[in-house]
Amino acid sequence: MAERGHGTYIDIPVQYGEGVIVAGPGQTIRKVIVCRPEDGGGGAAVPEHIVAERDSVTELCIAVLPGVNADFPIAVDITGSGASVRISGFYICGADESVKFCIRVNHRCPGSVSEQLFKGIAGGVSSVSFDGCITVAPGADGTEAFQECHNILVSDEARVRIEPQLEIYADDVKCSHGATTGRLGEEELFYMRSRGIPDTEARVLRIISFLSPVIAFAGTEGEGLAAEAEAAVRRVVGGNV
Amino acid sequence: MDRQEENNIIRDVTSREYSGGFVTDVEQEFVPKGLNEDTIRMISSMKDEPRWMLDFRLDAFGRWKKMKQPDWAHLDMPPIDYQDIIYYAAPKKNADRPKEIDPKLAETFEKLGIPLHEREALAGVVAVDAVFDSVSVKTTFRKALEEKGIIFCPFSEAVREHGDLVRKYLATVVPPGDNFFAALNSAVFSDGSFCYIPKGVRCPMELSSYFRINASGTGQFERTLIIADEGSYVSYMEGCTAPMRDERQLHAAVVEIVAEKDADVKYSTVQNWYPGDEEGRGGILNLVTKRGLCKGAGSHISWTQVETGSAITWKYPSTILKGDDTSSEFYSVAVTNNRQQADTGTKMLHVGRNTRSRIVSKGISAGHSQNSYRGLVSMARTAENARNHSRCDSLLIGPDCGAHTFPVIRNSCRTAVVEHEATASKISEDQLFYCNQRGIGTEDAVGLIVNGYAGEVLSRLPMEFAVEARKLLQVSLEGSVG
Repeated sequence: MAERGHGTYIDIPVQYGEGVIVAGPGQTIRKVIVCRPEDGGGGAAVPEHIVAERDSVTELCIAVLPGVNADFPIAVDITGSGASVRISGFYICGADESVKFCIRVNHRCPGSVSEQLFKGIAGGVSSVSFDGCITVAPGADGTEAFQECHNILVSDEARVRIEPQLEIYADDVKCSHGATTGRLGEEELFYMRSRGIPDTEARVLRIISFLSPVIAFAGTEGEGLAAEAEAAVRRVVGGNV
Repeated sequence: MDRQEENNIIRDVTSREYSGGFVTDVEQEFVPKGLNEDTIRMISSMKDEPRWMLDFRLDAFGRWKKMKQPDWAHLDMPPIDYQDIIYYAAPKKNADRPKEIDPKLAETFEKLGIPLHEREALAGVVAVDAVFDSVSVKTTFRKALEEKGIIFCPFSEAVREHGDLVRKYLATVVPPGDNFFAALNSAVFSDGSFCYIPKGVRCPMELSSYFRINASGTGQFERTLIIADEGSYVSYMEGCTAPMRDERQLHAAVVEIVAEKDADVKYSTVQNWYPGDEEGRGGILNLVTKRGLCKGAGSHISWTQVETGSAITWKYPSTILKGDDTSSEFYSVAVTNNRQQADTGTKMLHVGRNTRSRIVSKGISAGHSQNSYRGLVSMARTAENARNHSRCDSLLIGPDCGAHTFPVIRNSCRTAVVEHEATASKISEDQLFYCNQRGIGTEDAVGLIVNGYAGEVLSRLPMEFAVEARKLLQVSLEGSVG
């Protein structure tokens, strides 16, 4: 992993600490973690360290519902060719939550793929921060790494901070990141309202469609998640958090 | 193209000579090495400065002493001994002809392609302020500009003759304690350009500063202050070179721009300081603070930079969008080769309503170089309906270089929209194959692709600079891509 503040790559060997999840050669790991306030946030289930070995598939989806304060540092070391890692998540904040994601993906070998997709709503006086770093080690040619983080602010007091980072030390790579923060589109809301959909309902619909790529990803393992997310969005839009 | 061929081309390109690398042999006067209050007093008295200016310097020096050199940048910075630098060097004027520029100096700037003799320049196109080490040696076209009420002169002269203006605006955008290098500059700055465009005046020609470090063991600390009064327009260009030496030389400049209501400032830089040799020996440490303030409503500041030189670049031209409906742009091409390191980008700080900013950054890294984009887009709560769009692309050439992106987005305003996208890749085989297939050789194809890649930025440069920038890009890159 590259050390911050210096212009050179420093190779720190992978540390297999406690709680590390190893996706062995050819293994597939799928995990959907829903963080609800009633379960005490559910953050304990979120792995802090994932090691992806040769030809493994790792898929992780994290849903943070209103009322949860979350601070998830996740380090991913990709050590084997052909490995694929996909991490996604959404967060819905409507009160005074603080949600922090700090995701470091290290491509240490040639020919691996990583993908990150995070989407969130910040309302109330919540603060959201996303810090995502993709590091591609020297010689890790053929790496494909993508990262996206999109946010919608729905209140005047909410705050969003995004730090997407790329550190690339190999040349034959395809890497990208995209980050946005914005508001609900006036035109889309107007379109729905002009067709008789009430304002609140229009906002709920718009937000659900915004979050749906992540919800869809959770698939069957995230059964009931869509309904739960919808109820949460309704609470945030209606201001009942 | 196979590896062998690629390596040959890279070697060929990197061994190409740095054309600005000669030394001019003129008699110079120096202040002794080292930095203390006496040095500052000496610089101030040599420049015949008023008391307030000296107080400003000493205050900045006091702040600097308490500060630490920042180390957050993605740079492998060698330690700098601030006591081992000559803070002031000036060519001695020829006693016989005190008002004329030394022919040797004129020759230097002629070699660099900077026309100092007005009649030889394309009439009325570019007014040049040439800065040689610590002093401004010649400013052209002053008469023509004066007729319009435009002030364009060396900074030290502005302090003497337009003291009230300088005093009103100096350090309003970059305060003396802003950062380590800005504080150092505020304490020891020697010369630079001062430019004032009065209300409603459209500057009829491009204004240009040309900076040259010549003397060994010196640092250059110039300060530029541009003030565009209500409804005015100015296009300002800056270029730089230095001789080839084994030692690292320090360049810590400060540029401040103030744009009043509806003013429009366009600031372009082609930075070609000596980058050091293949092994990374020598070269300029380019540690610069540049900041513009869109003070009045409807004002606009545009930054365009082509960075090809310097061993180390630490530079973040920024804009504070304070007035309502103000806008700013940042267009950058940063090229690093051999052992060069660049950590450059911008900050867009949105404060006013309906403010707009746009960032386009193109990084190209080759050889063993490291090239980073670092940026901040901040939306204050007051920045209603503000918008930003950022795009950062990195092109990697060769297996040993690095390309990095460190953007920060902070949004505290519900109605503000920020979009950021970044990509990093090498030139695609498909593009090369497509060109090859149509009979375009790999070299030419690479040239085409790189030019197209940087074209969006290059097309923003004033004509005179665009030509130079394209040439520079070719020298430092073309053919090294494969």
